[in-house]
Order: sequence, then structure tokens, then C-alpha cells
Amino acid sequence: MSAPVAIVGGGAFGRALATAAARVERSVICWSRSKREPDHARISCTTDMAALRTAELVFLAVPSPHVSALSEELGKHLDGGHLVVHVSRGLVGNDIATLTEVVRETTPVRRVGALAGPLVARGLAEGEPGGAIVGTLFPEVADAVRDALGGPKLRIYATDDVVGVEIASAFVGLITLAMGYAKSLGFGPGTLAMLATRGMAEATRVGLARGGTARTFAGLAGFGDLLAATADDGRPELALGRALAEGEPLQTAAQRLGAYVEGVRIAEQVQAYGERARVETPIAAAMAKLVSGEVGREEAVAALMRRPAGGE
Amino acid sequence: MLRPPAMNLLPKRPLHLPRLRTYVPEPSDPKIFWFNSERADILQDVVRRIMERYQDDEGIEFIIGDAAYHEIRRLEPRTDEGGRKGLEYWRGVIRRVGRMSSEGKHETLREIAMRMAKDVAGNFDPRVYKFAARAVPGLLTGVMNPSNVMRNVLDSGTRLDELVSVEGPIEKIHKLQRKGTMLLLPTHSSNLDSLAMGWIVFREALAPVVYGAGKNLFSNPLISFFMHNLGAYRVDRRVRARLYKDVLKAYSSIMIERGYHSLFFPGGTRIRSGAIEQRLKLGLAGTGVEAFARNQARGVNRPVFFVPATINYALVLEAETLIEDHLKEEGRARYIIEDDEFSRVERWVSFFKRFQNTESACVIRFGEPMDPFCNPVDDEGRSLAPDGRVIDPGSYVSRRGTPVVDPARDAAYTRDLGKAIAKAYVKETVVMGTQLVAHVLFRRLCRATPGLDLFARLRHRGDIAVPMDELREEVGQTRDALLRLERDDRVHLNAPLRQAAPEQIIERALDAWSGYHQKPIARVLGGSVIAEDPNLLLFYQNRLRLFACDIAGPHPGDQAAALEIAAMEGPR
Repeated sequence: MSAPVAIVGGGAFGRALATAAARVERSVICWSRSKREPDHARISCTTDMAALRTAELVFLAVPSPHVSALSEELGKHLDGGHLVVHVSRGLVGNDIATLTEVVRETTPVRRVGALAGPLVARGLAEGEPGGAIVGTLFPEVADAVRDALGGPKLRIYATDDVVGVEIASAFVGLITLAMGYAKSLGFGPGTLAMLATRGMAEATRVGLARGGTARTFAGLAGFGDLLAATADDGRPELALGRALAEGEPLQTAAQRLGAYVEGVRIAEQVQAYGERARVETPIAAAMAKLVSGEVGREEAVAALMRRPAGGE
Repeated sequence: MLRPPAMNLLPKRPLHLPRLRTYVPEPSDPKIFWFNSERADILQDVVRRIMERYQDDEGIEFIIGDAAYHEIRRLEPRTDEGGRKGLEYWRGVIRRVGRMSSEGKHETLREIAMRMAKDVAGNFDPRVYKFAARAVPGLLTGVMNPSNVMRNVLDSGTRLDELVSVEGPIEKIHKLQRKGTMLLLPTHSSNLDSLAMGWIVFREALAPVVYGAGKNLFSNPLISFFMHNLGAYRVDRRVRARLYKDVLKAYSSIMIERGYHSLFFPGGTRIRSGAIEQRLKLGLAGTGVEAFARNQARGVNRPVFFVPATINYALVLEAETLIEDHLKEEGRARYIIEDDEFSRVERWVSFFKRFQNTESACVIRFGEPMDPFCNPVDDEGRSLAPDGRVIDPGSYVSRRGTPVVDPARDAAYTRDLGKAIAKAYVKETVVMGTQLVAHVLFRRLCRATPGLDLFARLRHRGDIAVPMDELREEVGQTRDALLRLERDDRVHLNAPLRQAAPEQIIERALDAWSGYHQKPIARVLGGSVIAEDPNLLLFYQNRLRLFACDIAGPHPGDQAAALEIAAMEGPR
């Protein structure tokens, strides 16, 4: 009998992962800070992190600002035999450390990975056909994720470009924010496509500088995820971008939308990293300056359009 | 080429001393003293492992064909007897392999694997070990002054003690050696590294280690003699055959599995740029992970400890050749340099003369030992989780509770380990005065040439003059910034650098360079210091590249220059 799959985080995505795992007949233990009732016979819920010790594969499904603290707490109950995969979209500090690096630093677990791609919580929970990519150096982690979630409704691809997957995923949040902003300014499909394409080119440059490979950004973790993020108006990053363009202060907008939106912080981090590592990051810099109020929207657009255009 | 009489007495081919009676190791002898009695078993183990890896006829035919192809290509240009015989052998193999029976193919593979294993495997002679331990410092000094070999042999240990200092958790390393197998992983910037490490291992009474020594180390007859008799195994990077790499890895893994402490240079070759090594593939050191997993899988619970170490020189013997090689576009592909300062005795003489006059000219700093999964270990050798809990390292090689050997998994652990070792190298770097002064001068060069590419910048020979009072101020400010980093445990400073006045630091650096390097790196003229050789300034300052942004002064030009320096070899 397989060990249960553990999920840390009781948000929409954590619950969707639990449902997806239960659908392929895996037993699941979900941890959340507050007690909640399971919504499937194969799912059990707990507020005691020690209960996750019995699992082999642990998904960390919490917003990126909480990853470090929760990972440290989780680490007290795990050892080298566990596998940890996070599904968060974020980077840490101005050196843009990735979340798998955070998990490695704060837990004894080494077999880690990042699950990314066009995974939408509702689609995952309802079993819509879809796909995702797991970035890991360890083939057994990819196999474990396939065993836990894969099946007729979900195709799990794998790559060893972990840093590429995580940077692509973080940039999708940033580009989506920028596209929400641009939509609100009334820009049409041509401008939005330009923003998406050049945004992903920027992500690729940053990814390469951090040791990733370009191909990852053209795949599920990059353009695949971006298409899913902008296919409808449901993503909080789009809504936040629109709110900022309409002049709503960041704090108020973020509070109103009820979610931590990683794209804002990522813009500042990527800008700082780009300056230090001498990697061109004009879109991240423009978004960081817009959000901080350093420049106005006309000035930001003009600065982006003024840049010399070279070979693609 | 100048060869002092003492060097001429040594043979150019490996020499084994005649064996009058078999040495029977004492129970208290280090593991390496058992090597000769285990040698035949080790070779058989290597061959057995190769045969397990290649079982089907098609795989065997391929691997034999690959070996023959690469060996023929390597040997064809050779005109000596050995080359001719080798060529004949491999041509015979390639002619026959297609027609061989299954048994014939297996037998041929076994024969080739054994040939290769014998070529790799070293020899250990306790007499040479005991002699080397006492005489190497003297012989080194003898190289400097051949007319006084005997006197140098007698009193040079003390002098070398002063020149080479050691820092780090030596006591803990002592304890761990008794609890498991230790892999020493030093940085590699000079061929002298092997000698320096060998001397320190002896002086600090650490158990002798087996070296995985590159073929280039065997080009110097003195070093070659000791290498051949102290258990070093020869790594010939010119042999491209995949089978040879398999044999090397199997040999290395088996040695670690059997508990032989080993020394590897994880960077593979000497770092050309002078920078702190950051892209480590680990190479043979990675077999430590495999060895641990294999032992676990057969129920042997013998820990393996990885000990990073930095070797920090005020002067680097081969600096001129290395930086020249680094700057050549094709340089990075030139893996073995056989004509550098290491093989020229007159350069040794000049180097050691200057080296002797430099206070703490070499500092070897050991980092905290870690297990194969990058966890720190306590004094008892137990692996520790980030929360201080003792954890079982065996869990890392287990799947559903059972230890298994998994090459893909171990390759991933090895990549992680490479990053952890590289991180330790940064933290355990000991900054020397020459590097600090070179960094400040090079930063000035960058300030004066903003935005210029490296090669255009390096053409500014003798163009930058820094008034001495400004240089003193910047050296003092940069040293203070380094001291702050040291307090945060991010780097270390050589003791004389910590206390000296800026003018002393500058004076000592200029003095050290001027007696050794053939062209002046920097010189004082009319109250200013002139940056004469940007290439060598680059080499020495590169050691501080990763700290450039943290140690730049408040001048906006300094900040911009630091950013350019930090980005020179590409971001992490």
C-alpha cells in the first residue's frame, strides 16, 4: 500500500491538489492552521504537522511569503526519506532565491521539486483535462508526483531545469499583473501580445542568468502558464493590475482582492537582481516604479517604447 | 631549462623502491598502509563492477569500440615504443571485436578494464611515506638552493611551518577520520596545492589520504616519484574513452567504500581566472555519494564526510600562465598545461625565494565537514537537520524504507553537493594582501574605463596612476569592509592583513609581486602607484570578485565599478 500524500495548506489550490490525488485513489492528509472538514472519503484533515510524517510525498501549497516559515516548521517532522514539492509562485530576496532553495535550507529534505504550469485550482478539482510540469533534479520526485496526481485527467511532464521552472512561474505572475494594468489603460491585443512576448523574453534572460535553460520558458511553466493566467479575467494579478492602473493604492487593492499577489514583490526583486547581475529587465523595472509611484503610467509606457529595439 | 643537480638525479619514469621484505601493517597504522595488501582485490572489484555494468553483447561491443577509437586517435601521433605498441594492441582489438563470440567480448572487456584499472591504481610504500613526511619540506627548499640540500632538509620544517598556516575545525576532522571516510575537497589554483595539502595532512597528524592526481602532476619528476609511491592514482585526462571514466569512477568509489580517506580537487583543473571556484562538477568526488549508497545497500553503515578547504596564496606560482590561458578564448578547453611555471625549475626557485619572505604566504582553511547530503555533522559524525535534530543519512538513499543504489538520484545529490561546496569555498576564503591591493587598483581601472569590455580594459597598461594617499585610503576602507564581512562569517582575512596599516599592506603586496612576476604588476612612481599589468591585477583581484559590491567605497564611480566587476564572469 502506498504511503499517503501530504498537503500543507488549506487554500483553494491545496484543496484542489487533495481532490486530484484522491481521484486517483491515493489517501491524502491535509494540514491547515485551522481545523476543516474533509470533502472526500480518502482525505483526512489535521492541524498537527507531525501527522504528515507518515507520508512520503509532501506538497507545499501556501502563498510564497509563508513558504519559509511553514517549511521550517514542517522540516522538524521530516527527514531525508521525504520528497517535498511546492506549488507557490514567488522568489525570495534580491538575489531571487527560489522556493526549492528555501525548502532545502529550512528542512533536511533534499529530494525537492516545483510543480508549475497551467494548473488552475477549479480545473484541477473538477478533473478537467490538463497538464503541469514538475521541475526537479530527482527523477523519483517526478515519478512520485505522477503517481500522486497523474492519470487520465492530468498529464505531468518533468524537467531537471528547476530554477527555470520557478523563475518562469514567478514571471507569469509579474507579466499577468502588467497585462492587467495595460488592459485597463485600454491597450488592445497587439500591445498585450507584445507585453507577453517581451515579458517572457525578459524572464528567459533572468532564468539563463540564474542557470536555467531557454526552452523551459517556451513550455508549460512559461507560455503555457501565461496563456492560462490571461485566458479569462479570474486571476487576482489581472484584477490587481487593473486596480493599480485605476489609481487604487496597492494595500487597499490587495486587501480588497483578498489574496497576496506575488507579482508586485517579484517586480522589485527582479529589478534589483537585474541591476546587480547586469541583466536587462525593463518590464520588471517599469512595474516596480509604477507600483511605488516613482513614475506615472505615461512615463512608464514611453520609457519602455523608447528603448532601442535590437535582434529578437 | 635549468635543472639543479638534485633534480637530475631523479628518474623521469616512475620508480618503485626494491622490496626486501613485505611490510606488515600495524593495527594502529592508517588505512592506506593496507593498500598494497588489498590492491589485487580492489582491482578485481573494479573489473567486476564494470562487467556488471555492461552485460549484453551489444553494449560490450559498443564500449570496446569506443575505447579503441579514442585510444587509436590518442596514440596515432606518438612515435615512441610505448605509443607504437599501444596502437598495435588497439588496432588488433578493433579488427577482432566484430567477429568475437559473446564469451570473447566479455573476456576482452575484462582484459581492457583490468589494464585500465592497473594503470589507474597507485602503489603505497610506507618507507616512501615516512621519508616524504620528513623530507618534503627540505626537498622543496633544496629545489630553491641545491647546493645546500642537506642543511635545508634538516631545518626547513620550521620555516615551512611559518609559511603555511592552517585554520578551521582540525580537531573535529581528527575525530571524524576515526568514525568514517573523509574526503578532502580543496580549491585548486596551483600545482603546489597537492604539496601544500600533503604537508599539512602530515603536520596536523591527519590520516594520509589517497590522491586522485592529474597526469600533469606527474610531469615533474620529484612530485611524480612521491605520487607513484604514496597511493595516488593517476587520472589521465587525455584518455577520452568512456570505459576509462567508468573504471576511474568505479576505482574511486571502491576506495571510498573500503574506507580510504581521499583528496579530490572538485574543480577538476586549476582555476584559470584566480577567482573562487563556483562551478563545481565534483567529478570523482561525487563517487563519495555512490560509495555511501552502496555501503548502505549492503548493510554497511560507514559515514562519508566531505570537508571543503580553501588554499589561499599571497603569490600564485603559475599566475601568468593561468590568466593568459583564461583570457584566450580557446583557453578554457586547454585542460592540461604541460609547459607552465610548475615544470620550470628556475620559476620555482624565484617563487620560493619570494614566498619565503612573505608572512603567512599560504593559508589552508578547512570548512565544516558535511555528510553526502550537505547536512552538517557533529563531532561524533552524526548528521544534523536544520533544527539540530540528529537524522539518519541512510534515509536519503532509501525509497520506502529500503536503501537502494540509484545513479540518477546520486547524480542529483552530487549536483547539490557541488553547490554546497562552492558556497563553503566563498565563506572559507582567506583574503590575502596581494588580492586586496590588486582589487583596489583594478577597481580604479574600471572607474577610469566605465562600460568598456574586459579586453579593451586590459589594454590600459600603465595608464592608471593612483596617488598614494588615495590608494592608502581606499585600501583601508576596503579592508574595513572586509573585516565587517568577516564578522558576519562571510569571508576571512589573513592575519597580517587584519592588523597592518594600509601603507604596509600596499608595500608588502608590491614587494611580493616585484620579486617574482617577470613583468611588474604595479610600481610606485612620483608618489603614485601605476597599474602596469592589468592581466595579473585581474588574476589576483578575481578572488574578491564575489564580494565586489559589498566592499566598494562610497564614491559613485566605485559603486559602478564594483557592479562591473561583480558581473564580469556572469552572475550566479
